[in-house]
Amino acid sequence: MRGLKSLTSLAAGSALVLSGLVASTSSATATTTIAQCQASFKSGHLPLVSAGKLTVASDINNGLYQPWFGANGNPSTGKGYESALAYAIAKDLGITSKNVKWTAEAFDSSFAPGSKNFDFDINEISVTTDRAQVVDFSNSYYNVQQSIVALKTNAIVKHHSATELKNYTYGDQIGTTGLDYINNHIKPTKQVHVYNTLDEAVAALTAGQVDAIVVDTPTGQYMAAAQIVDSKNKPLATQVGQFPSTGEHYGLLFQKGNTLVGCVNAAIADLTTKGTIKSLQSQYLGIYTKVPKLTPIQP
Amino acid sequence: MGRRAAVASSLSSALIVGLVVWFFWRAPNGANVRHFFLDPHSFWINLTGDPSRSLFSILRCFETNVWMFMLCEVLVLIFGLGLAWLRLSRTPILAPLRVASAIYTDVFRGIPIILVLFAVGYGVPGMQAGWISQRTPITYACATLVITYSAYVAEVYRAGMNSVPNGQVMAAKSLGLSDVQTMRRVILPQAIRNVIPPLLNDFISLQKDTALVGTLGIVEANQAAHVFGSMEFNYTGYTVAALLFLALTIPMTRYTDHLIAKDRRRRLAGGAA
Amino acid sequence: MSTVISAQNVRKRFGDHEVLRGISVDLAEHEVVCLIGASGSGKSTLLRCLNLLETIDEGDIVFRGQSLTDARIDPNLVRRHISIVFQAFNLFPHLSVLDNVMLGPVRALGRPRDEVKAEAMQLLERIGLAQRALEFPDRLSGGQQQRVAIVRSLAMKPDVLLLDEVTSALDPTLVGEVLDLLTDLARGGTTMLIATHEMNFARNVADRVIFLHDGEIVESGTPQQIFDQPRDAATAAFLSRVN
Repeated sequence: MRGLKSLTSLAAGSALVLSGLVASTSSATATTTIAQCQASFKSGHLPLVSAGKLTVASDINNGLYQPWFGANGNPSTGKGYESALAYAIAKDLGITSKNVKWTAEAFDSSFAPGSKNFDFDINEISVTTDRAQVVDFSNSYYNVQQSIVALKTNAIVKHHSATELKNYTYGDQIGTTGLDYINNHIKPTKQVHVYNTLDEAVAALTAGQVDAIVVDTPTGQYMAAAQIVDSKNKPLATQVGQFPSTGEHYGLLFQKGNTLVGCVNAAIADLTTKGTIKSLQSQYLGIYTKVPKLTPIQP
Repeated sequence: MGRRAAVASSLSSALIVGLVVWFFWRAPNGANVRHFFLDPHSFWINLTGDPSRSLFSILRCFETNVWMFMLCEVLVLIFGLGLAWLRLSRTPILAPLRVASAIYTDVFRGIPIILVLFAVGYGVPGMQAGWISQRTPITYACATLVITYSAYVAEVYRAGMNSVPNGQVMAAKSLGLSDVQTMRRVILPQAIRNVIPPLLNDFISLQKDTALVGTLGIVEANQAAHVFGSMEFNYTGYTVAALLFLALTIPMTRYTDHLIAKDRRRRLAGGAA
Repeated sequence: MSTVISAQNVRKRFGDHEVLRGISVDLAEHEVVCLIGASGSGKSTLLRCLNLLETIDEGDIVFRGQSLTDARIDPNLVRRHISIVFQAFNLFPHLSVLDNVMLGPVRALGRPRDEVKAEAMQLLERIGLAQRALEFPDRLSGGQQQRVAIVRSLAMKPDVLLLDEVTSALDPTLVGEVLDLLTDLARGGTTMLIATHEMNFARNVADRVIFLHDGEIVESGTPQQIFDQPRDAATAAFLSRVN
């Protein structure tokens, strides 16, 4: 399901933001400090939809999945990367865990324009320029990396130096960051196969029509572990490795113009400094971070 | 049809074209639509391509459509003829093949080509049955077009052969021509002449259906336009692809009409050959 | 005189209808025989059976002593020797007059083009159409087309020429030129079996006249005998209707 949600995010955005295009989406970040934010919460000046409480949205009704949430799909356990991060941000702003309230927001409607009944939404939402037209985003809480998925039997599993990577036939879905990554960073010598849907690209991979596809690490992890399997559910594919991030990231989503984004960015910066984010990532996102690193030839 | 009629028809044509252009220009959202489909800058990028933005040159991609079409057309003409011939054969030994040919044409005329494309393009390589499963997507795409269009063209041939009067067959046989000679020298030349217009229609469809093979990941003109559309939110690429297709189909239509007219003149005038 | 072709007790049915009911007829070398009878009496069917365009249900057809109902016989080989001319000409519209005449000898007999072409031109010369050799059939009148069709059969140098009411589809003013050609051929010794409604022609040209009625040979004899002293009442009735 994790992978499917990511598919939706790719499709819905149509054009994901290209590397370097995503800038900070709030003007308040530069000057706001975490101390100022804690003070304004205490004085009741922090702009929250429900006074004294942090209302956090996620796609509760469609199910929440590991490793982003706990095993039972309940967001209020503080288990899983996104749940734990939401509580960490609240705590950093001085909000106690019992004052963190969860609310349901479907993935597809989250980045639609209009007023929101939550302070922020945390749901593996990729930041794109399109979406940033109608909603605001926090700074990155997870940098999405592109990874190579291939059949276990393919030569690319063993031979994937920067020069060797050029010699394979790649396939990918039209309009995706992965396709862009192939063209701009891997620059293969053979024509890339461009499919209308990711499912078709996966079918081509399974049929041996392409050597590899490039998708973000979480999607690729799901593909290799659960999607590309034989008739006995045994995985046929493997995640060969992942490339350095080119700027695509997940951000917390806010109603357009919500000034709270400044304090949340301050909290994210503070948690990064204190090493909290890094330890949460290693605690929960190990299946992604442990994917071997690949280096393409830099342009 | 005198001068007055010519003037009247030119005037009415100009009026109709003018009305269409006017409507297109003055429609409430006309400017947006024009930008969406006819943006000059996008037009140029679509022609030349821009590798740094993963944008393909539709002109280069269209080469794929052209050679696919030309190769498939020849193969379709041959396979279609074979199918029609089998279906019309009266030799008892060929009876099972006659039935098979009838089933084949019914089946492949009845299945949307995109489904055949999926079955061949993903099914055959997925079987991992050695050589036949290790072809390129473009090979499977061509195979699909040939499989499907042979069925259409076989029916066209068959209609053409049936349109040749039985007396022609009788006359050929009474001269001692064999079945093959009768087909080759008497039936086919007349049948093909009768079916050039419907054959041409099928070929124009075939040309256009080369735009479907993007389903197998092949970046031909339509898929290249699709890539542009999804990256830039602009459909000018489709306009470019459409113009390229027109540039191919219109001369072909004209040329065939010319051939038909020339043949008619030759027969009426007699003797020049 | 030796027999070229003979039908022996031939029966032919189309569904329930028996078109030929035990026909026996011999054709000798250089003989001209006219088949007369009402439409539907079986004349055309008999000619087609002799040419193997139709299969027979009973009886036999013997060509120069060989049975043609033998399954090992290749009908295409037989038809090179027994040529038929149709009421509707059936010229090939996509071929020039010359190519119509040359097709059989070149393709079926595999003879050299140059040689065939010279012969074909001679034949066309004979019917006065040499200068139209390169035209297409639809530029010719019906009479001209039918003469080309006859010449097309002659180019095969057949042992027997079968003619199936070759003037019936023609404008009355054009009938004469075709009959003149046939008269000419008869004098030249061509073996012919002619189904016709032209009684005067039959009387003048035929060595023998056969009257067919309801798929049976009612009467057969010299033209004088058939036309002047018909023995059978059916023959007399038919002749009184057509004259």
